[in-house]
Amino acid sequence: MKSARDEILGTLRKSLAAGEPRTARRLEELRSRIQNSLPQVQPHFDDDPLTRFCHKHVAVHGTYDRIRSDGIEAAVVRHLTGLGLDTQWHLGSGPLLDQTRWTDQAFVYRKTADKNTKVAVSEAFAAVAETGTLVLCSGPAVPSSQNFLPDDHVIVVESHRIVRHTEDAWAMLRDSGATSRRAVNLITGPSKTGDIEQTIQYGAHGPRRLHVLIVE
Amino acid sequence: MSLSASSQRVEFQERARQALGSASLQRAMAKARGGFVDHRQDAVDALPEFDAIRDAARDIKDHVLANLDGYLELYEQKVIENGGQVHWARDADEASRIIAGICTEAGAKTVTKGKSMVSEEMYLNPVLEAAGMTVVETDLGEYIVQLAGETPSHIIAPAVHKTREQITDLFHQHHSPLGYTDRMTQREALVNEARSVLRERFVTADVGITGANFLVAETGANVIVTNEGNGDLTSCLPRIHIITAGIEKVIPSLDDLSVLLRVLARSATGQEFSSYTSLYSGPRRIGDMEGPEAYHVVLLDNGRSRLLGGQYQPMLRCIRCGACLNHCPVYGAIGGHAYGWVYPGPMGSVLTPLLNGFDQSLDLPNACTLNGRCKEVCPVRIPLSDLLLKHRLEQHDRRLNTVLGRFLLSAWAWLVCRPRLYQGVMALPLWVMHRLGQRRGVLSRFPGAGGWTDSRDLPTPAPRSFLRQWHTRNLRP
Repeated sequence: MKSARDEILGTLRKSLAAGEPRTARRLEELRSRIQNSLPQVQPHFDDDPLTRFCHKHVAVHGTYDRIRSDGIEAAVVRHLTGLGLDTQWHLGSGPLLDQTRWTDQAFVYRKTADKNTKVAVSEAFAAVAETGTLVLCSGPAVPSSQNFLPDDHVIVVESHRIVRHTEDAWAMLRDSGATSRRAVNLITGPSKTGDIEQTIQYGAHGPRRLHVLIVE
Repeated sequence: MSLSASSQRVEFQERARQALGSASLQRAMAKARGGFVDHRQDAVDALPEFDAIRDAARDIKDHVLANLDGYLELYEQKVIENGGQVHWARDADEASRIIAGICTEAGAKTVTKGKSMVSEEMYLNPVLEAAGMTVVETDLGEYIVQLAGETPSHIIAPAVHKTREQITDLFHQHHSPLGYTDRMTQREALVNEARSVLRERFVTADVGITGANFLVAETGANVIVTNEGNGDLTSCLPRIHIITAGIEKVIPSLDDLSVLLRVLARSATGQEFSSYTSLYSGPRRIGDMEGPEAYHVVLLDNGRSRLLGGQYQPMLRCIRCGACLNHCPVYGAIGGHAYGWVYPGPMGSVLTPLLNGFDQSLDLPNACTLNGRCKEVCPVRIPLSDLLLKHRLEQHDRRLNTVLGRFLLSAWAWLVCRPRLYQGVMALPLWVMHRLGQRRGVLSRFPGAGGWTDSRDLPTPAPRSFLRQWHTRNLRP
């Protein structure tokens, strides 16, 4: 008996090319189209990426702070105290977070988040100005559940990693080999739902609040 | 499970009648009406490139469909390279057997699901439950309909037909045994209660099943788009991640993904981008602290491969945004359940007979005013109303419509081909209708028009036909 795979591909070929077998050359052409893939129509905007990112991020209910690289801990503490929260958090990893020396003002966990996790601090691989989106990749020291379990998510991003369009972020991912990571999460604002009477409520399953620290 | 043509017809008409008479459904639909439409329009107005991006999105999908076998093979290779497995299923039964097999082998007790319309096609939940597993839908809307023992009535807003009062009752009934004894009536409290109940399910689930908005051949990733984050918790926390997808979901590259994402959220909810757009490729990598140990993709055909190369091929471009539902006056009046299967609205009326057989769901292509709004708003430019018309023609050619319907159509065709006779025959009823409705401008009853006038007024026609008036005014063409 033919396998389901062979049967489905067989039907496709019959519909598409009168049943002719797919040649190795045709497959190579498709592979080459993928490898040489280029950005297509993109929304045009005049703002510089940083301005546009901040504008779009606020439009989706996010908050942000612009800081210097030695001010990360102070900015997180300030943000959490402002919300009346304890200064402890699950910590992700990245060039900025790894070089930060945490003082006894903060209590940081380096482990996977769980159902009781209140706060996580992560570092974005990149950010996209077009839509106010943050790009986060999973890795050995970066569990992606950190992006979804806490009530409050703080994401640190270097200002020069804010690119114009998603295609620019894909190019960065390809260049760094990060497309092979298990998870790439594009995050745009806090979690929300419109499933009750089509009215937006924040904090459906993921973070209720999203705060970005832009490091300049 | 095929029904005879006449019994289905009664079923659809009966379901539609019940929907029109249901006060709670009409209240819920009235609340939803307009919101989706206005938000989409705002998003479209804010993007001058929208139409150009729609063209590009259509072209990408057409290119994929013309090379679907090749892209599926390239995608499969990548998934295997990433350490995942790809399963192919000819039909719904085969797919649900494969998934039940994976879950049973893993000794799964609890299965969480992100939203997947394809799994509705497979009738997956009853199959898993029969195998002794607890299945929990995690999209808030889908969770609500699961508690109610129903199926989604909208492809992206599954509980659009439910009022807040009904949700309050459902939560009170189902959450009380879990210790949530207060009766929540406010939206925020309801969302919080569901968050807390479902969180427990997320962290204890053995298997997570999600759908896929796209499958990217370049990296082997499945893309899942949500606002709640439920798809991500379903993808990241359980030991096993299963992805269900129709074979038409594959796209070539990440750059193609950018184009399609630009039209998806705008068309669906009027957002520029949904809160969470995630790419997952394979099981956890060496050194990762978390992530599933196994990653399975189940590719479902279920009649799709037959559509390629034929007149209905454009339907396979569909990216399941729901815009055609939101803009359809018929859907807005009767809601999704009246359509009788997984996919409602214009896209459902086209797709259901194609996947389930032409002799099924005969009424669906006819439950349409051909106003064409679905075609206008489709992000991948599927000519939905034209395809519905093709369905009607095909029903006629295959003699699937009723004897009376065929007779009336033939009589009408005969008459309109004889203009003089047509005008003569029509003059009397026009004049009578005009006289009867003169005072109110509408008719609330007319012999033989009960199908129309029982649920709405019939506008009174002008006393004489357009042509007659033209002639009288001496304006010969």
